[in-house]
Amino acid sequence: MTFNPQSSDAREHQAMSSLIPWYVNGSIGEAERQRVDAHLLRCADCRETLAQERCVYQAMNAERTVEYMPAASLKRLQARLDGIGAAAAADGAAREKTGRGSMPWQGAMAASVAVMALALSVLAADRWMQFRAQTAPDYHTVTKPTARAPDEVIRAVFSPTVTLVELQAILDEAGVRIVAGPTEAGCYSLAAESRRPVNSSLALLRANAKVRFAESTQPGFAESTQPGTGPGDIP
Amino acid sequence: MTFPAKISAKEHDSELLAAVAAGSRRALEELYLAYHRRLARFLSRFTPRYENVEEIINDTFLAVWLSAKDFRHASQVSTWIIGIAYRTALKSLRRQKHHAAAGSLDDYPEQTFDPTMEAEVQDWLKHGLNQLPVEQRLTLELAYHMGHSLEEIAAITECPVGTVKARMFHAREKLRHYLPHLSGAAYDSSARSE
Repeated sequence: MTFNPQSSDAREHQAMSSLIPWYVNGSIGEAERQRVDAHLLRCADCRETLAQERCVYQAMNAERTVEYMPAASLKRLQARLDGIGAAAAADGAAREKTGRGSMPWQGAMAASVAVMALALSVLAADRWMQFRAQTAPDYHTVTKPTARAPDEVIRAVFSPTVTLVELQAILDEAGVRIVAGPTEAGCYSLAAESRRPVNSSLALLRANAKVRFAESTQPGFAESTQPGTGPGDIP
Repeated sequence: MTFPAKISAKEHDSELLAAVAAGSRRALEELYLAYHRRLARFLSRFTPRYENVEEIINDTFLAVWLSAKDFRHASQVSTWIIGIAYRTALKSLRRQKHHAAAGSLDDYPEQTFDPTMEAEVQDWLKHGLNQLPVEQRLTLELAYHMGHSLEEIAAITECPVGTVKARMFHAREKLRHYLPHLSGAAYDSSARSE
């Protein structure tokens, strides 16, 4: 159906056509829905548009394959909130300290003490760096070591896009179950669920593309370890 | 009938947000877990990288934590939270635009293509969506996947209703141009149903 662009029919057509997406998703008001219904009865173009939009709507609502696991990212948010809380508390304490009617000379004295303390700490830090350079390995960890969970034999990190079904299949295949985690870095503690040797479970986990990291935490675990994968590097 | 459940979910969100405003971390966590899935899906239209999606979600909830006490119930809690996520994502997108190392934004659409998707219509649709400017793509996502009304989308994107309609119009026109087979399929199914 074609309309004269200046006519009231054309304006009505344009107005109704622009509402079709919300007619499709069901969020349109009752009065507008009735107007669109009435227009659809006499407008073939809008009926065709409606059918197309329903196709798009259905395709966009088809089930997605990716499922997100929010636990690890929630832990990171909690760590940020902890940081904000600690910074606010320190700021408040500092303000309270400096706000107690101090005399000008006290400020100058405090500043000079602070400068001396800074100089001393720089000196000490320099000495410490020299000492570290002689003794420390050429890598460092960025997270705190966590206590070993009871029954834990392996720690593992999974892909953030792993689905719950996939995760369960991976655990079943390797004969392990989750006993703790995730840590701030998204690391899970796994305990043996079967008599399968830890070596074998590790090999199965590492062979899976959805497992980003897997390492034994058993004391005295004998394996030909690769550089950078010792217990000290467990996230 | 879903109406009462919808009402109670809204009320529950309001209660949680009030608790967040009073300093409850537990309430914030509950809100986070309740919204994570839909925000992740929504934000994956901005960026294909999960790390970016996660960062935007966490920035969003940091903003929720810091400004919950300023929420005045002018809109629903969900509209407010999704609006924060929308603006945070746009900021993130602009930041990435200025980082040479992040690569061209024009590269993003191709990266979002998921070769494992089998259904042909979904496949074409995904390609088609990736050709749209981000505002148009997200308007479609807010309407068709998240089910928001015209007025809610205007509130989320902080745009006049007319702008939302215009974005939707252009998005539909481009998709129609990009997905000619969809128009044929739609016409066929429409003809069959009549």
